Amino acid sequence: MDRNLSRNVKRDVWEKIVEGIFLICALAGVISVIAIIVFVFYKGLHPFFGEDAYSFWDFISGTRWAPSQNVYGVFYMIAGSVLATAGAIIIGVPIGVLTAVFIAEMAPKGAVRVIKPAIELLAGIPSVLYGAFGLGVVVPIIKEISPMVQGQSLLAVIIVLTIMILPTIVSLSESAIRAVPKSYREASLGLGASKIQTIFKAVLPAAKSGILSATVLGVGRAIGETMAVMMIAGNPTQGLPNSIWSMVRPLTTNIAMEMSYASGRQQEMLFATGVILFIFIMIVNITLLKLTNKEGDK
Amino acid sequence: MSRKAKDNLVRGAIYGCAGFTVLILVVIIGFIVIKGLPGISIDFLTRDYEDKTTYISVDAAEQEQTSGQEEGYVSSIKAVIGLNDKGQAVITKLDEDSPLKEAKNTKNEAYPVSKKDIITKAGDLKIEGISSLSDAVSSLNGLSGNVKLKITRPGGGILPMVVTTLYMIGISLLISAPVGIFSAVYLIEYAKPGRLMSTIHFAIQNLAGIPSIIYGLFGSLFFVKVCRLQYSLLAGALTLSIILLPTIITTTEEALKAIPKTYRESSLGLGATKLQTINKVILPNAMPGILVALLLGIGRIVGESAALLLTAGTVAQIPQALFGNSASGATLTIKMYTLMKEENDLTTACAIGIVLLVIIIFINWASKAITKRLLKKGA
Repeated sequence: MDRNLSRNVKRDVWEKIVEGIFLICALAGVISVIAIIVFVFYKGLHPFFGEDAYSFWDFISGTRWAPSQNVYGVFYMIAGSVLATAGAIIIGVPIGVLTAVFIAEMAPKGAVRVIKPAIELLAGIPSVLYGAFGLGVVVPIIKEISPMVQGQSLLAVIIVLTIMILPTIVSLSESAIRAVPKSYREASLGLGASKIQTIFKAVLPAAKSGILSATVLGVGRAIGETMAVMMIAGNPTQGLPNSIWSMVRPLTTNIAMEMSYASGRQQEMLFATGVILFIFIMIVNITLLKLTNKEGDK
Repeated sequence: MSRKAKDNLVRGAIYGCAGFTVLILVVIIGFIVIKGLPGISIDFLTRDYEDKTTYISVDAAEQEQTSGQEEGYVSSIKAVIGLNDKGQAVITKLDEDSPLKEAKNTKNEAYPVSKKDIITKAGDLKIEGISSLSDAVSSLNGLSGNVKLKITRPGGGILPMVVTTLYMIGISLLISAPVGIFSAVYLIEYAKPGRLMSTIHFAIQNLAGIPSIIYGLFGSLFFVKVCRLQYSLLAGALTLSIILLPTIITTTEEALKAIPKTYRESSLGLGATKLQTINKVILPNAMPGILVALLLGIGRIVGESAALLLTAGTVAQIPQALFGNSASGATLTIKMYTLMKEENDLTTACAIGIVLLVIIIFINWASKAITKRLLKKGA
């Protein structure tokens, strides 16, 4: 009797211990997020405080990056990142949504069996491969038609980013479109609308919030992309882009290019660039959470 | 415009967009394969990246007068040599009992010579710029007793990167798989809806949205500098582990959610404890889903570049330690990037690209096959 009891106690203790271990593991995600934020922000905000502080305004509004002369301006990088992302969204979202419409509403079964794996593969291709594609195909073509001497340009970045966000847009839009109840379509068709009218007037409006989430996720992916963009952006040390042919230096590539050898103030400034990027990503994340929660409430 | 014409126009646009998406994939894969295929060979997959030059000592064999040997046969080392375009002696064939197989390097460790190694110096005699094969054979045949040879093993392969990638996959999964799976178990089996659970979910969703360059920044500061791991395998793997967490947690969560409630109830009803239920009933049933989670993780590791660039370095070598000076190493993806960016060698880069594509296609296929079997079983 006594032995049984002690065995039960032991078992209960063991159960509690394991539950504790599970809990600690579950907290690993939270701890990671906090650690990342603390470290990146601490290091990134450091140069703007204390003696010998760098003016935050000069940092955020400057259009020249010259670490050797202690000049750190990231405004032209912000402009590059935002323009590239906007361009990719403007081209990528319509193409992606129409592809999703094709898969969900119109495609014969055989076609779906080709397109869906293609999109999954597109989603899995490492970004360095997109970079190789950009460098070997997109940049030479642009060089031919561009008024500038080089092919590395905002346009090249937009084209590659468009391709990279397509899988995200297509697969999320597709599930949003599939989630629209059949009765919507039947009612619309029954009222005499054509199939195309039904899709654009009844189905897509109903799938609006899902498509919006897909778009926001696409923004996140585009603004955070580094390696593919680094090889095709040109990465100039100064100057706002004034046309789609001009070179850009997105925030991400600024970090990746100089981090391996930077030290001191320059390194801190790279972290500061990371902070700006992080703020953009946070806005994207929070928008996304708001959107999905709203969807859940419905 | 009539309704019909308008409809057809839009229909055309839809077909065009779908076609465009597929076309893009074909163009990308086509480009990588066409550009990279000339670079793919057995040597490419199995060789070291850098040429490696070593001094070895060999006991030359007794001279025997043999006739009828093939051209280029050197009886002192019992091997057949040929000349390369620099007039150096390349070993093309080794006899079973060749003394070269017993060769020792300067540290007195065994260093067996293999085919395609190049002899550039024998004793004090430089073997370079020799124009006729018989000259090379006779000068090598003049050797006797214990001789020092300078041997160059040609590089140009990606073996170190393949090994580094495998190490990276192993170590990252060793860290993040248990943490991720336990974390999912806690969220599904233990946690009650409330503040804690929504905080954890919020954190995981945020982690999933952070771009890998930010992870790289964090890793290069925290793991490389603060933890003093330097650019190393471990620093890279730890950074990757955090990147993998959201993928592994959410995929495992889905697998756990798919297990019917009755399984749990009957196990608990039979007197099993919660832990026993998890261990004996829930995890075995969730195994295929967990496997998919790990496969997705491997895909992510293989494709990751920005974070590793800042934490594991770009040296083309097999890491000799987990952390510290000799522990840095480039994965396939990183090497592909440095080849393009620093060495302007798009052909070799695309050859690595083909290897990456094969891995990614395999992972896609495998995870789909597992999911399909799972669905069949469920139905």
